[in-house]
Amino acid sequence: MRTATLALLLAVGSTAAAQEDPDLQKVQELQKKVHAVVDKTKAAYVFIGGGSGVCIDADGWILTNHHVAGGAQNWKVRFTGGKQYDAALVGFHPADDVALLKVKNGKDLPHIDLGDSDAMRVGDPVIAIGNPFALGNGNWEPTITHGIVSALHVYLDNPGYKDAVQTDAQINPGNSGGPLINMDGKVIGINGRIDVKRFLSRVNTGIGYAIPSNQIRRFLPHFKAGGRAFGGYMDGATVGECGDDRYENTGEFGEGVFIAGLTEETPAAKAGLTTGDIITDIEGHRPYNLNRFHGIVGSWPAGSVVKVKYKRFDAAKKEWAAKEAKVLLGDPEKLRAQEANVGNLFLGFTPSYDFDDLGVEVDEVTEKGPAAKAGLKSGDVIKKVDGGRVRDWKEFKAALNGKKAGQKLKLTVSRDDKELELEIVPEQRKVEGMPEEEGE
Amino acid sequence: MIALLAAVLCQDDPTSAMARVMQKLRDRVGRSVVALEVVRDKDPEGAAGSGPSGAHNDYYNRPEGPCTGTIWTEDGLILTSAFNVSGDVRRITVRTSDGKSYEGKRLGWDATRDIALVKIEAKDLPVLPKAKMDAVRQGDFVAIVGRAPDPDMATINQGIVSALDRMKSTAVQTDAELNYGNVGGPLVNLLGELVGVTCQIKPRTNWGQSGGVGFACKHAEIDKALPELKASRNTERGKEPWTGITPAEGAEGVEGVVVAQVAAESPAEEGGMQEGDVIVEFEGKKVKNWDEMRTMLAGKKVGDVVKLKVMRKDPKTGKDAAKDVKVKLTDNPN
Repeated sequence: MRTATLALLLAVGSTAAAQEDPDLQKVQELQKKVHAVVDKTKAAYVFIGGGSGVCIDADGWILTNHHVAGGAQNWKVRFTGGKQYDAALVGFHPADDVALLKVKNGKDLPHIDLGDSDAMRVGDPVIAIGNPFALGNGNWEPTITHGIVSALHVYLDNPGYKDAVQTDAQINPGNSGGPLINMDGKVIGINGRIDVKRFLSRVNTGIGYAIPSNQIRRFLPHFKAGGRAFGGYMDGATVGECGDDRYENTGEFGEGVFIAGLTEETPAAKAGLTTGDIITDIEGHRPYNLNRFHGIVGSWPAGSVVKVKYKRFDAAKKEWAAKEAKVLLGDPEKLRAQEANVGNLFLGFTPSYDFDDLGVEVDEVTEKGPAAKAGLKSGDVIKKVDGGRVRDWKEFKAALNGKKAGQKLKLTVSRDDKELELEIVPEQRKVEGMPEEEGE
Repeated sequence: MIALLAAVLCQDDPTSAMARVMQKLRDRVGRSVVALEVVRDKDPEGAAGSGPSGAHNDYYNRPEGPCTGTIWTEDGLILTSAFNVSGDVRRITVRTSDGKSYEGKRLGWDATRDIALVKIEAKDLPVLPKAKMDAVRQGDFVAIVGRAPDPDMATINQGIVSALDRMKSTAVQTDAELNYGNVGGPLVNLLGELVGVTCQIKPRTNWGQSGGVGFACKHAEIDKALPELKASRNTERGKEPWTGITPAEGAEGVEGVVVAQVAAESPAEEGGMQEGDVIVEFEGKKVKNWDEMRTMLAGKKVGDVVKLKVMRKDPKTGKDAAKDVKVKLTDNPN
């Protein structure tokens, strides 16, 4: 049968050289696949600022890195070939370095679907599209590089690439935010980080990282709803790696994590988990060590309910029983309130996260709080703090660094197109049991 | 028959098929690739590696050892990267694949395309067939063949065509690893046809070496430059004042130029600029965007010191603070 196939190929071979060389034929077939993927995907690439993005929907939803597009609300972006569009930042996840933009009034735009990053295997060929060193600026021809998946489920801190796809496809400064694409022509990740250990030069060393498409897909509804998204965490549980010989019955290293401590009345406790339980599976993923555990739960948005398989030791019977639970991964409202914290200062208002202009729009004002006392109202836009310009909530928070409770602050506020000066006196915040905010 | 059967059995394994294709390419293309030993006087400014590298000419900032050239004509014209044979060269020894050594004479060079011509007294040298350029496309498998560090052994680095229109349309871009050893060697397609001669890798280019960003001067561009090169006429590159920043274009509501990247050892870095800085003034004049700043830069000369005002966020207070930065413009190395 094989000989017959070959004879056929020999008869219709495209070039004389290929006819004589079955290896060359094989490689040319592979090349054809790469061409097909390039043809299918290139048009959906987007130039954004100093980096890259990819359009994932005909209406113009564009994925990129937060470190590429998080600095401004409105952008002029260009698709491959240079056609320019107005786009606005809609949703973002600074801790995990993802941002979603929307082309204003976008229609029938070239786009690529998100693929299944969990179906990828180490060694699978991939391509990356990007704009390293801004080489494509001017003629708007992006750079395409080719490599393989080097590793999956890589956990990196700060920003948290919690479930990264590692690749040796060459990515460099300017590739950030661009797509990593499989041979089906689907986005399996958003490239955003490289290891640059080489002295004094920021170029690729063969180690690049992408945020996986499956994580992004789970966050998409939150991004589209606007504002900041938060990663999940197992609220109330302290976990340890299995095989920890300081404790009894913690299983074998690699099989999962065990619950070392549990706070009552938290989602983890309410789900039925208890101290000593060994979690072996979260939505089909084994938390084989601590990083992977945090990686799995962090790759779901806060507020998700995930299926957890665990086992519990029955001391009387001296055997393990398999169990299942549904666990709520943190409360986004709580995280939002925590995000609204300004260190230990209590201001008594929450910012609007989908405000798309410069400044901080006041969303809710707590009754009798400092903001209410200062006369701040919902819908006000804070433009300056003590005379210093604040363009967004992050800058607002930064402007309050080092300020103390009881210390008067001057806010320059825009209300109904008029500027007002208000004085606010922050109070000391009294909140207990809040986890530390993750670094950005 | 046995050979055919073996070939059929191997067919299902594209990885080893690629390996065998590369082995054959290296052997076949390697015959048209030469090693160049370029002897220069010692760096008058001191040994490379000491002091700021900006004080040295680029060719003193590459490790010692042979570099690569591509046979252009059967009667002894060798094409290479201009960088390889730049500066005050005392002697060039050319070593062909059959182990013979020739004295090379540098003819002309073209700094824009980063190519140069070297002549040896030889006959019947193997010349590579040329690829049809309109058939070359992004995603083509390509390879770079070099002859360093061991001049008797050709090397091969595989990659794809990353982009077709680079360096003012004179070059294609590839992700095959390009470094100081193989630059000057040919970029070939799977059939061993020449796409271009590799170039534009210098210590001060933003992309450095082996970063997955490499270039090859298209063969048609080389043909265009050939009459000048043969006549030993040099084409200087127009000097372009350069700060070393890459602007983030397209951010609205930001007055000034947002710095997305600062090139290593560039004037901007030496002046203390950082990523995230927003350039708001150029020589005392307000700058609203990159277009304005580019125009202002074009009015300056290499060597000029320009005063920029940047806004930078203080990580402790979170406040924007203005900072004056002095940047001594150099020639754009990219």
